[in-house]
Amino acid sequence: MRGTIRRRQVLAAGTTAAGLLALPGKAPAAGGAKPLSGVTLNISCWSAPYPLLLAKYIPEFEAETGARVIYTTPSFPIYNQRMGLALATKSDAYDVVNVTFIFIGQWVGAGWVMPLDPFIADPARTPASWDAKDFFPGTTTAFRNAQGQLCAIPWIADVMMGGASRYDLIRKAGLGLPDTFAEMPKMLAAVNGKDGVPGFLTENHYGWTFPGYLQGFGGNIFRNPPHDLMPVLDTPAAVEAAGFFSDLLRKYAPRGALSYTYDEVVAALKSGKVNYATENEAFVTQMAQPGSTVTETCGFSLFPAGPAGRFPQVATHGWGIPAGSRNKDAAWQFITWAMSQKLLLRMFREHGWSSVTRRSIVELPEFRSKLTFNGFDVAKMYLDTVELAAKGYMAYRTVPPYPQVDRQIDIAIQGIVSGEKTAQQAMAAAQRNSIAQLRRAGVKL
Amino acid sequence: MAAGSTAWSIEQRRAFTVGLVPALVVLAVVTLGPAIYLVVTSLTPLTPIHPGSGLDFSTPFANYRQALFTGSFDHSVWLQCELSAITVGLQTLLGVAVALLLNSESGFMRAVRTGFLVPMVLPPIVVAIIWKILYTPDVSPVYAMLGAFGLRPGALITSPVWALPAIALADTWEWFPFTMLMVLAALQMMPNEPIEAARIDGASAWQMFWYVRLPFIRPALMVAVLFRLIDSIKAFPLIYVLTNGGPGQVTEVTNYYAFIQTFNFAYWGYGAAIATLMVAGVFALSLLLARLGAVAPDDA
Repeated sequence: MRGTIRRRQVLAAGTTAAGLLALPGKAPAAGGAKPLSGVTLNISCWSAPYPLLLAKYIPEFEAETGARVIYTTPSFPIYNQRMGLALATKSDAYDVVNVTFIFIGQWVGAGWVMPLDPFIADPARTPASWDAKDFFPGTTTAFRNAQGQLCAIPWIADVMMGGASRYDLIRKAGLGLPDTFAEMPKMLAAVNGKDGVPGFLTENHYGWTFPGYLQGFGGNIFRNPPHDLMPVLDTPAAVEAAGFFSDLLRKYAPRGALSYTYDEVVAALKSGKVNYATENEAFVTQMAQPGSTVTETCGFSLFPAGPAGRFPQVATHGWGIPAGSRNKDAAWQFITWAMSQKLLLRMFREHGWSSVTRRSIVELPEFRSKLTFNGFDVAKMYLDTVELAAKGYMAYRTVPPYPQVDRQIDIAIQGIVSGEKTAQQAMAAAQRNSIAQLRRAGVKL
Repeated sequence: MAAGSTAWSIEQRRAFTVGLVPALVVLAVVTLGPAIYLVVTSLTPLTPIHPGSGLDFSTPFANYRQALFTGSFDHSVWLQCELSAITVGLQTLLGVAVALLLNSESGFMRAVRTGFLVPMVLPPIVVAIIWKILYTPDVSPVYAMLGAFGLRPGALITSPVWALPAIALADTWEWFPFTMLMVLAALQMMPNEPIEAARIDGASAWQMFWYVRLPFIRPALMVAVLFRLIDSIKAFPLIYVLTNGGPGQVTEVTNYYAFIQTFNFAYWGYGAAIATLMVAGVFALSLLLARLGAVAPDDA
């Protein structure tokens, strides 16, 4: 009897083992099998030019490695809400995610994404030729945790600049692209409505598009971030900046300007439905790419300087591995592939992808020449802006409770542009509410 | 005989109880469990940024204090009341009016009725996209038409005055067919005798409606109003797509406010407190309306 049971147990165990091995993805690799055969990688990033472009190359990664990739690119707010929830719950739903700039403090600070240094340091997982030091330090610094470990590989240096779809109209008015805030109203007044084209527009995420003006007027979000997070949104400089910026939208933007999201701004620029915008390089340079109707008439400039200097906003987003992922090695393999010099160079050569974070590519002569549109040296503007940001004025953006303040800025600018409040009232309310939000988040003020 | 009857009724009660148990268990797991968890969570400062916060009951009413005395909650409730009053009012008036017009048995009217039901069966997000197009000056056929007559109205959804009415209009378009359907069904069940008697007595069209038809359809109307009122508090896709709560906070109604607090700022405990307050509000409202509905027929 005992012997029978043992035999049955042995048979059952053997059958179970054989069954498990026969399951897809669990069978040991046969000779010549691809390294990630049977692995499914769930990857997500917000919808931006680079991740959309990357989708075209992912079949190559699948063919090369045998992995199956489920790739999603929802819009920016939806992505952030979805990912915040997935990361917070340590879900295994995603293997590679975009670490959003504005949430770095939260996501990296709370340990929701893995430190990548162990992967980078391991020659079995990362060949030396991949060269992690090639990424601009300005783009990697923000992704380091309290221990100094890198938690994401930056795929974009999102630099803000000026771009005009109808530079021809500006030239016709005897003007150039504005280099200072003072020149902006003059230029916009001269071209607004010419050929039926409104003069100015920015996306309605004012927590992103307004701080460049705020800092240009000598203001800031916090008194001395990241150490002193007392908001300073009601200072005379902040009120002046809010009034100036809102005036541009009130006087020169198309009707319903407050409802324009970033993709709608890009579409308006590419189709020549609006003339001038201060927006991200990756967005405005689409005016010079195939599919645009204004390739011949577009022009570019640095983000204009204010009385206190030039503060073009620079954000960076990067690929990270969620702490809950069950395929961390495969996820890293995907990141090293997606951010390799080879692939980035191909994306640049084949599709004009230009917001590159690797110095070795940006410094190539062909990069410089290909990024010269209608005589505008956009590559130089890009490099100059990345270097400006090294001064550290973007420190306000990666503190954990910034999203709450970001929302208050959105509300304030909307209130001013819609005529609901004066700049003074709106910024005073933003200050009051930001203080309340920060105290609630446990920040000592 | 009596003993046998008692035994039978005990047995019957036992059988009912046993039969009910699975349904009660499912109800407890699916409905009560999450509801209790919601209330418990609302007593904590739960946020995913601080993992232990879900078990911190040291200040159990802090979220409620925050909601009732400091935050934008009261503003959002006021906006919610405005939106609900406008939408339910318009939907009731329009629904009754259209139901009265369509209350006949011709084939043409049946086809028209079906047409009126289309907005109600569309997915809410599709409705939101339709209205986003209509309200966006650059692409809207309405704005293009007005432009042809030399009119250039501003964008409704970015106006602090018109954003909320614009949402109410879209919501009314989507949901007045529900009231219409309920009222129409009640009208079609109405016997002819009172109508004929009123006609013989020389009642005018208005008197016919006010004294004869309205009392008859009132219970159905109360149910429709109750459903629409509860549903109006759940308005979300239209606000998310059309205004994102703006401009400023003029369309940040309570559930949108809860959404931002929970998912943008990661205040899960606070979000749970707002949700609990909303559930309590809806429950009280339902009781009130149910009571009104229950006494209405007798009054009539």
